[in-house]
Amino acid sequence: MSTPLTCTTGRRPDGAVVLTATGEIDMSNAASFAAALADTASSGGGEFVVDLTAVDYIDSAGLAAIFPHADRLRLLTSPMLVPVLTIAGLDDITTVSS
Amino acid sequence: MSQDVFAGGGDVGRDLTTVNWANTPLGPPDEWPQSLRTAVSILLSSRFPMWMAWGPQLTFFCNAAYRRDTLGRKYPWALGRPANEVWAEIWGDIGPRIETVLTTGQATWDAGLLLFLERSGYSEETYHTFSYSPLRDDDGTRVGMLCVVSEDTERVIGERRMATLRDLGSDPSAVRTEQQALAFAGSQLGRNPHDLPFTLTYLFTDEGVRLAESTGAAPDRTSGWPADGLVEVQAEAADQALIVPLRQQGAAPYGFLVAGLNRFRALDDNYRGFVELVAGHLAAGIASARSYEAQQRRAEELAELDRAKTAFFSNISHEFRTPLTLIMGPVDELRARTDITDDSVRAELDVIHRNGLRLGKLVNALLDFSRIEAGRMQAQFEPVDLANATAELASVFRSAIERAGLRFEVDCPPLAAPVHVDRGMWEKIILNLLSNALKFTFTGGVRISVRPDGDAAQVTVSDTGVGVAADEMPRLFERFHRIENAKSRSNEGSGIGLALVKELVELHGGTVTAASTPGEGTTFTIRVPFGDGHLPESAASSGSIETAAAPYVEEALRWLPAPVSKAVNEPSGSPAKVLVADDNADMRDYLTRLLRSAGHHVQALPDGQAALEAARANTPDLIVSDVMMPRLDGLELVAALRADPRTAGTPVLLLSARAGQESSIEGLEAGADDYLVKPFSSAELLARVRANVELARLRNHHARWRTALVDSLQEAFFVSDADGTIIEINSTFTDILGYGPEGLPYHPTHPWWPDRDTDPEGFQLVAEAFAMLVGQDRGTYTIPVRHRDGHRLWAAASFNQVEDPDTGRRVVVGTFRDVTAEHYAVQRDSALATLSVRLSQAETLPGALLGVLPTLGELWQANQVYAVVFNGSGSPTLFTTDPQARWEGLPAERRAALTALRDRPLLTPVGAGVALEHPDGTLVLMLELSERRPFTEQDRTLLALLAGHLGQGLQRIHQIDQQRETALALQRAILGPAQLPAGFAVRYSPATRPLKVGGDWYDTVTLTGGRIGIVVGDCVGHGLQAATVMGQLRSACRALLLQNTDPAQTLSALDRFAAQLPGAMCATVFCGVLDPATGELTYASAGHPPAVVSHADGSIDLLDGGRSRPLGVRAAAERPEAQYTVPGRATLLLYTDGLVERRRQPMTTGIERVAAAVQQGRSAALEELATDVMESMAPAGGYDDDVAMLLYRHPGPLELDFPAEATRLAPLRTSLRTWLARCGVDPTTTQNVLVAVGEACANAIEHGHRQLPGGLIRLRAAATAHDLHMTITDSGIWKTPQPAANPHRGRGFTLMRALMSEVTVTTGAAGTIVGLQARIPR
Repeated sequence: MSTPLTCTTGRRPDGAVVLTATGEIDMSNAASFAAALADTASSGGGEFVVDLTAVDYIDSAGLAAIFPHADRLRLLTSPMLVPVLTIAGLDDITTVSS
Repeated sequence: MSQDVFAGGGDVGRDLTTVNWANTPLGPPDEWPQSLRTAVSILLSSRFPMWMAWGPQLTFFCNAAYRRDTLGRKYPWALGRPANEVWAEIWGDIGPRIETVLTTGQATWDAGLLLFLERSGYSEETYHTFSYSPLRDDDGTRVGMLCVVSEDTERVIGERRMATLRDLGSDPSAVRTEQQALAFAGSQLGRNPHDLPFTLTYLFTDEGVRLAESTGAAPDRTSGWPADGLVEVQAEAADQALIVPLRQQGAAPYGFLVAGLNRFRALDDNYRGFVELVAGHLAAGIASARSYEAQQRRAEELAELDRAKTAFFSNISHEFRTPLTLIMGPVDELRARTDITDDSVRAELDVIHRNGLRLGKLVNALLDFSRIEAGRMQAQFEPVDLANATAELASVFRSAIERAGLRFEVDCPPLAAPVHVDRGMWEKIILNLLSNALKFTFTGGVRISVRPDGDAAQVTVSDTGVGVAADEMPRLFERFHRIENAKSRSNEGSGIGLALVKELVELHGGTVTAASTPGEGTTFTIRVPFGDGHLPESAASSGSIETAAAPYVEEALRWLPAPVSKAVNEPSGSPAKVLVADDNADMRDYLTRLLRSAGHHVQALPDGQAALEAARANTPDLIVSDVMMPRLDGLELVAALRADPRTAGTPVLLLSARAGQESSIEGLEAGADDYLVKPFSSAELLARVRANVELARLRNHHARWRTALVDSLQEAFFVSDADGTIIEINSTFTDILGYGPEGLPYHPTHPWWPDRDTDPEGFQLVAEAFAMLVGQDRGTYTIPVRHRDGHRLWAAASFNQVEDPDTGRRVVVGTFRDVTAEHYAVQRDSALATLSVRLSQAETLPGALLGVLPTLGELWQANQVYAVVFNGSGSPTLFTTDPQARWEGLPAERRAALTALRDRPLLTPVGAGVALEHPDGTLVLMLELSERRPFTEQDRTLLALLAGHLGQGLQRIHQIDQQRETALALQRAILGPAQLPAGFAVRYSPATRPLKVGGDWYDTVTLTGGRIGIVVGDCVGHGLQAATVMGQLRSACRALLLQNTDPAQTLSALDRFAAQLPGAMCATVFCGVLDPATGELTYASAGHPPAVVSHADGSIDLLDGGRSRPLGVRAAAERPEAQYTVPGRATLLLYTDGLVERRRQPMTTGIERVAAAVQQGRSAALEELATDVMESMAPAGGYDDDVAMLLYRHPGPLELDFPAEATRLAPLRTSLRTWLARCGVDPTTTQNVLVAVGEACANAIEHGHRQLPGGLIRLRAAATAHDLHMTITDSGIWKTPQPAANPHRGRGFTLMRALMSEVTVTTGAAGTIVGLQARIPR
């Protein structure tokens, strides 16, 4: 059984597309996360937001899914994932939610 | 309803379901009360051996552990049966106890109770420590009981056997007689009637088999091995016995041991091994005793032989000759007296005189034989005019022969060349033959002739006597052989005369033969070669024969029928030893005849030099000398005599043809005592001689007394002048060194000094002693010297400087003894002592050899000592004093020499090497001596002796080594748990070496619910005694904890146990129960020092709550209990007082020190910390009390094994999060560790196990105060990250490095290990 992860797509009041992930992302479920990202990327035209605020853990397999879309998305995250995202060089597209 | 009450009971649970419960008073399980169901499920889930009984019939239940340890063949039959049926054979023991539990509700406690169980098909001796506690039903009524039991059989029996083996090895004396050794062993074996109900020790003898020792219920001791092989013993003692050989290395066994076997114990490997070890002990004792006895016997025999020889010689000379002299002297005095006119008295005196002479002659002959036999007869050969000398001797017999009415024909024309003979011996030869001829001849005559015969002189003595029968001829020269029934003039005779003649002639390199016709006569023919080519080079005169013709003639005269008149004159006064020196043979003969007629003993010599030498060798009473002589004339002779202290007092009577005052003054000035001018009358000469002798005797009384005294000394005596020249010696000196007075003076360097070239050390010793002799007033020294015949001996001398009263010169007077035997005895004893010390210090065989080799090397000043062990396989093992040397590196000839020694008989030295037994095979010892060092017979004897001891010592070490291994295994079993739970480290240091156990202990017990019981305790005292108490307390505490899981109750129960166990009183115990998940610790202390907790931040807590009295000390109050929570990354230390208690220091100081040590090391790994604490707390000389120490760091390490599958990552993170929370780690560090470990595990899954799906990955995480250490281990090959090919894996690696303070990757053939380390912020 893969690590539990749910991904839902919605729109914020400002119209931005938001992919909200809940759970943990590791090599067992990184593929489904990548698929959700690809769906979201292909559904709307421009930039979209990936909300990782409810993700407790992400590893390099999860990060690998983000990189192909890095020029089109913004990340929203809790402070817990900041060190990992910073080391991965994604800090410039990341916003930390308080 | 289901029977889930048995679920979780494994095989036992399954078997319980098959019991027909309806037939029991309990009824079907679904009708059981809740209390029974609870009790059964607790029972089944416990891993500690338990059984219980419930209901009116005490129906039996047990769990898997009990089945395994105790129930044996009774399973599964016992399940559901009444307890008194299950344990019928011990119901008498346990029934009353169960009854007590049920009626009083009080739990029982028994430790090490002996029970005979019928569980293995025979009645088996077993020991158990157990407690019965009541079980209650739902309404609180007591309806059953629970037994928690720990079987101690192996421990109790193991300790018992160990004690026997230890006692066997405790024999205080290393060597003793075989019987004593066996009796000692017997007394020890008799003390263990359990394992050895009886023993019979049989030894093989020449006749068969002998019962040497027996113990226990054995038959009477006099019997041998019964022919039918049946031995009767008391029936109940044992019904089986084991026969084991008493093995002897490299030979048939000494005998065998019949060991009765405990009928209540199976003969398993342990039991068999025990009996074999006992037999090994016995065999070793016998070997040691026999070898000691043999050595002892050999030494005594040698000493006895030596004593007998010495006694023989000194007895002959002292016991015979001294009384003889004391008989003859007074008899001579009496016979010389004129006032005895009674003829009958005179006749009796004559009888005494004659027989005294005869006895003296016999004694001298015997002594001659002894000397010849001992090789001590050293002839002084000198060129002699044999015809003349022989004729002179013959003339002595003329009157006796003619008086017998026989013709006497002397036919001795001069020979062309001299013959080398010893005068004394030659006299004996001729006198013996003549007296023999006279004895057996009644008519006709005796003829003696001397003729040249080729290169030899031939002397024949023939008679016309009775002759010798042909069948007697071959035995004629045999010693002590007498011809019986031969007609002779006398029946006197010892049968040694002719034998002595033969021996003496042979000493001259000559032959003697006899030809005889019965009734016609006998002819003896002697041939002695001319010249001296046939003689031995050494021609010392020491021990030369003293002969006087008088005894022969006197004896012969007595054979004659009617002595009409005396042939010789009465001696004028007492006879004197007179030395005559004259170059004129006629004059010499005349003087000799004249003086002999007066009863004097005369030695005649042709010149002054010969006279001087003779006088020095044997000082005469008077010297009568011509003035004009070749070589040394009379005046020079006098001067030389006066210059020599030995002869300075000897009177000299000079004879001269020169008349006139001047001549006589010249002679007297030179030191002569009297002067006689030729021609002189015989009466005048005899009067002068008598006067001078008397005068000299008066004058020399003191000197003679002194000489007699000095000669009678058992010690060698010498006088040396100031420069060390030896000028006087006594006869013992000559006996010891072989150098006689004829060689005086002896100038330094003395001829007995060791050779400077071949024995530089000996030479050096003597040179030092000599410097002392000439340089100091007095002193003593012991030096090696060389006998004249070349053999080496040791002499102990003492000397004193004195002033010569006559001359005023300083001289040195000294004495010495032959201490050769003592010297070698001391050398042997000290070498043996050193060897024994070395052996006793060694713990291993190689250690023993390496310790002993330098001793051997020093003893012989060897350049190197080789010891090679040939164990029959592979390359021999070499030990030498040179640590670099290897067998393969030795020169081929050295290897060959060592190998050749291996095949020689054991303990028989060849050169400076010897082979001996080694526990692994054969040991060859070889000394590489310096080229000049001789290796004598004594050296070889010593080497053999030392090798024998070494062999025994090695054997003993070998056995002790084996016993130690057995003992260690037994001790480890007593000490503590083999497997510690995670997070613990322990140390143990016993005070008493070589024990590995003592009175202190630690223990950990895994309890229900994952809790861990922790115990550290300390019994009073140390050593084996305390260890035995400790073992029992430890077992008891363990069992009680399992039952109670409550420290205070456990200690209370232990109080009751301690009260029954001698030596357990006042033991202190710290007992705690720890929940490793939460760090919660419940603890109680029975008088034990407080535990120490060092927090991660460095603060310290002392766990000094829950304190109460030591064990077994009565007090009314309940034992208190305390609670404590061990925080994350804190370190808990339990210890015994030996760690902290120091003399003249309060214990609190020690506790502070150890707390500081733990605080210092709180960042170190736990094992490292344990070592550091033990080392830093140790006193300078090591711990002098038992120390037990237990460390725990909370939480214990996390250890997880999981299959290499991605789906396992999430549960892994959950476990790791929980553990990190227990460690008290902050959220950021937690997240970093989760990611880094996650990446490492992902790598292991992706790369490590690509070819091996489902392989295992192991994670281990451990905390110190400031760090976290994680290792991730897989069994695959982990490729070096290649970011280009695998960008996101490369990223994973980057993450690990960025998040952790240290990352290491170790790839080996077995797999890859990733090490991660994270620092925890303060």
